[in-house]
Amino acid sequence: MTITMTVNGERVTVEAPAHWLLADVLRQKLGLTGLHLGCEYGVCGACTVLVDGEPTRSCLTLAPAAEGKSITTVEGLRDAESGALSRVQQAFIDHHALQCGFCTPGFLITATYLARISEGLSREEIREALSGNLCRCTGYQQIVDAVATALSPVD
Amino acid sequence: MGYIGKRMTRVEDERLVTGQGRYVSDIELPGTVHMAIVRSLYAHAEITRLDLNQAQQLPGVVGVFGPKELAAIMKPLPLGTPDPRLDAITPMPLAGDRVHYVGEPVAVVVACDRYVAEDAAALVSVGYRALDALTDPRLAATAPPLHPGHPSNEVATVEYRVGQGEEAFRDADVVVDVDLRLDRVVAHPMEPRGVVAHYDAKTEELLIFAGTQGVHGYRRAIASMLDLNEDHVRVIAPDTGGGFGVKNRIYPEDVLAAYLSCQLSVPVKWQGDRSEEFISTNQERDQWHHARIGVKKNGQIVAVSDEFFQDQGAYTPAGIIVADTTAICIPGPYRVPNFAVTGHVVLTNKVPVGPYRGAGRPQGTFVMERLLDHVADTLGMDRLEIRRINLIKPEELPYQNGLPGRGGPMTIPYGEFQNTMDQVATAINYDHYSHPHDTRGPWKLGVGIANYLEMSGGAGFEGARMRLLDDGRVEVATGASSQGQGHLTAFAQVAADRLQLPFEQIVVVEGDTSAIHRGIGTFGSRSMMMVGNATRMAAQGFRTKLLEFAAEMFEASMDDLHWENGTITVKGVPSRTISLADIATRAAQEDRALVYEAFYDATGPAFGMGTHAVVVAVHQKTFAIEIREYQICHDGGVVVNPLLADGQTIGGTVQGLGTALFEGLVFDATGQPLNATFLDYLLPAAGEMPDFLISEREYPEPTNPEGFKGIAEGGIMPPMAAICAAVENALREFSITVDQLPVTPNYLFSQVKEGSR
Ligand code: FES
Ligand code: FES
Repeated sequence: MTITMTVNGERVTVEAPAHWLLADVLRQKLGLTGLHLGCEYGVCGACTVLVDGEPTRSCLTLAPAAEGKSITTVEGLRDAESGALSRVQQAFIDHHALQCGFCTPGFLITATYLARISEGLSREEIREALSGNLCRCTGYQQIVDAVATALSPVD
Repeated sequence: MGYIGKRMTRVEDERLVTGQGRYVSDIELPGTVHMAIVRSLYAHAEITRLDLNQAQQLPGVVGVFGPKELAAIMKPLPLGTPDPRLDAITPMPLAGDRVHYVGEPVAVVVACDRYVAEDAAALVSVGYRALDALTDPRLAATAPPLHPGHPSNEVATVEYRVGQGEEAFRDADVVVDVDLRLDRVVAHPMEPRGVVAHYDAKTEELLIFAGTQGVHGYRRAIASMLDLNEDHVRVIAPDTGGGFGVKNRIYPEDVLAAYLSCQLSVPVKWQGDRSEEFISTNQERDQWHHARIGVKKNGQIVAVSDEFFQDQGAYTPAGIIVADTTAICIPGPYRVPNFAVTGHVVLTNKVPVGPYRGAGRPQGTFVMERLLDHVADTLGMDRLEIRRINLIKPEELPYQNGLPGRGGPMTIPYGEFQNTMDQVATAINYDHYSHPHDTRGPWKLGVGIANYLEMSGGAGFEGARMRLLDDGRVEVATGASSQGQGHLTAFAQVAADRLQLPFEQIVVVEGDTSAIHRGIGTFGSRSMMMVGNATRMAAQGFRTKLLEFAAEMFEASMDDLHWENGTITVKGVPSRTISLADIATRAAQEDRALVYEAFYDATGPAFGMGTHAVVVAVHQKTFAIEIREYQICHDGGVVVNPLLADGQTIGGTVQGLGTALFEGLVFDATGQPLNATFLDYLLPAAGEMPDFLISEREYPEPTNPEGFKGIAEGGIMPPMAAICAAVENALREFSITVDQLPVTPNYLFSQVKEGSR
C-alpha cells in the first residue's frame, strides 16, 4: 500500500506491504538506518522515533499508522539550516555518552523530547525518564550527564 | 605532544550521533537475499523428520536447506583455544539427527526478505522424539553422555594446587564452608549478532561483514569450514554494537550465510533478533561452588579450596577459558599460601558457554570475597580487617601466588592494596554503615566492600601497520577492532604521541583483513596493551623510514634532519623544510609506498587492582533493594584517555550489577528457558543504577614499555560480592546469608523465611 508521511521535514510517499513495521519502512525503504532494532518488542528503545513529536517505538508501529504523520529520526536532529549538531547530540559527544552507539539514536530521540517538554529535571528524574531505553555499554551515568547538560538553561 | 592521558572526546562520535553509523544490519547490498533459521524447540531430542516442502512453496522463498542439502559443511566448527585437558565438542552448522539445546539450528531458509524468510521458517516441519534433558551439571557429570562417542559429560576437569593444598586445613583454627551459586547470564550486546556474506563468482572472492571481535580469526575459521583459501576471503567488522566476548568467534549462522552465498552467488544476510540472542549466542557464569577457607584465630589465611561445577551447555565452542580463569582468579590480591581448586566442566542441554566480559575473573573474585566475609563473621572480626590482614603488602611485591597466569607464573608486580581499600572505605563512610545505627523505618542500610585483581591481556601478538596517505596523514591499521571501546580515538592518541604528530594527522583503521595481514582481536582487555605497544614499535620504524626518504629528497644525511610536528627540516637550514604531505606527493610520483608495520608479542598479563564499596537500602517487608552510594577505586596503569576509561569502568560495573541483582536465565526440568525476553530477563536500566564515584590510580605496568594495563573487566569483577555483602549487612537482624546470584527480593524472602545460618 501507499503511505504518505513527513519524515525529517520532507514529505515522502512509499510503497510497502500493510504488515510492515514503521521501523522497516524507515530503514529499508528510506535508508534511514540510524534507528536500530534491539528487541523488536518494545522494550529496548533503540528504535525510538518522534511521531508528531511523541517518542514512539517504531518496532511496534505498523507503517500504515504513520499515514499523514510527521516523523523525526536521528538523521533529522541536526539544525536544518546550519547543519550544526543539536545541543543534545553535542552533549552526548562531550560527555562520552555513547560507546558502541547502537542504542544511541534511541536515547537521542528520547532526550530531544525531554529537552522540548521539560527543563530543570533532577538527575533522578532524568534517570527515570530514560528508563525506557536500554544501553549495555555505558552504564548510563555519562548519558545522564549529557542529558542534564542538554536540559540545563542556555547561558 | 601529550595526548596520552588526555580526556579527549571521540572521533567516532559525530557519525554515530547523526545516524551515520553502519552496523551489519544497516548493510544491504544490491540483490541481497535473507536468511532465517529454524531452531530446535526441544532441549534434547532425536529428529525423526525434517520436511522442507511446505516452506519451499511459499512465494518469495529462494531455498530451504537441511543438513542433507548442506552436507559439504556438516563438520564441527573450529574450536577456539584448544586445551589438552578438554575433550572438545563443537557444533555443526546444523544439528544432525539430534538436537542438544533449545535454539540449536536445524534448518535454514533463504528468501527475498526477512518477513518471508521467517514465515517460511515457521512452515518447516520438524518431527522430534523428546529425550530426557540434563539441566544440572552436578547431576549431568555422571549421567549418560549427551554426545555419542564421548565418554563423559564432564569434558574437562580444571585442577590447581599450591603449597599443601587441602591438607593445610589441619593447621587452621577456624574453617568455614560456603556454597555459592552464580546464575546463567546472557551478554546481550544491544546489537544482536548478524552477518552479510557476498560471494562474487567472477572474482571468486568472498566478502563478509560481521560484527566480530577478531576479523582474522573469523576469516581463518570460515575459510576452513568452506575449504577456501584465506586469500579469497575478506572479513570486515563495520560498526559493531557491543561484543563483550560473545562476538569473538564464528557461529553456525556465519558458516551458513557464507556457504549459501557461495552456492547462490548472491549476497546473503542474516540478522538475528533478540529472541535468537537469548537462545543461540554463547552464555556464561552458571556455576555452583563449594568453597572453603581456613584461617588462624588472628584472621590470617591458612588455606582456601574450591570445588565447582561449570554448566557448559551443549558444546565447548571456546574451550575451557571460563573455568580455567575462574580457578586461577580465586586468590586475587590476597596471600593464600595453600590453595586447591577443582572445576568440573560439564555438558548440559543448554546454550553453549563461552567467555562473557570477565570470563571467570568475576567468578573467582566472588568466591574469594564471599569466603572472607563469612570467615570474618565467624571470627567476629570486621570484614575490612580480615582483608587488611590478608592483602598482599607492597613490600611483598612482586608476588608469585604459585598459579599459572597466561603463559607463565602469575606474578603480581605492584599495587597498594590496603591503601586503595582504606581510601574507598573512608570515602563511603564504611564504619558508619557497617554498625547498627538508626534501625527505625522499613529501609535498612548496609555496606559491602570487595577487592579485585584484574588480570588483562597476556597472550599472543597484535600489530600496527603505519602507512603514509597521499595527503600526509598517517594511517594506523590494526587487527584488534572496536565494539564501542573508542579505538579510533585512543590508538590515535598513542600514535600521535609516539610519532610526534598532531592528533588530527592520524587515521586509525581497524576491523578489515585487508588493512593488515594478521591480527588476533579484541578480548580479555588486551587491545590497548597490545596495539598501544605495537604502535610504539611501529612509530620508531616508520619515522626512520620517512626520514630516510626525506634524506634522499634533500640529498642530506639522516642525522642532519630534524623531525618536528609533522615537518622535517635540515638542521640549521630552516628554509629546507618539508611536510609529510610533501613526502607523500613525492612518494606517489615515484610510486613508492611508505609503510612500516610492527607486531608486539605479549610478555604475560598485566595486573590492575581496585576496590568497590556499595551502600544499599533493603526494604524489610518487600526486600526491594536500592543502591544508595557506590565508590570505586581502580588502577588502570597508564591511562590513555580518562574519559573512555571511566566509561569502561562504569559500563563494566553496571553489567556486574546486572549479574548481581537482576539477570538469570531460568530453565525448567525439560531444558526450556522460561524467561528469554527482555520483559522477563531484566537488564539494568538507568533508573535503578546509581552515579559512581571513581578515583583512579595509575601504577604503570612494568611488563610492557608503555605501562598500559587492560581496564575493561575490572568493573565487572567485584559488584556481585559487594552487593551480597551489603545486603547481608542491611538485613543483619535476620541473620541470613546471601550467596546466590542474582540477589532478588524473592530469594531474600525465602532466605529470611528459612532463617538460614
Ligand atoms: S527494537 Fe523497538 S523497543 Fe527494542
Ligand atoms: S552505547 Fe552500546 S548499547 Fe549503548
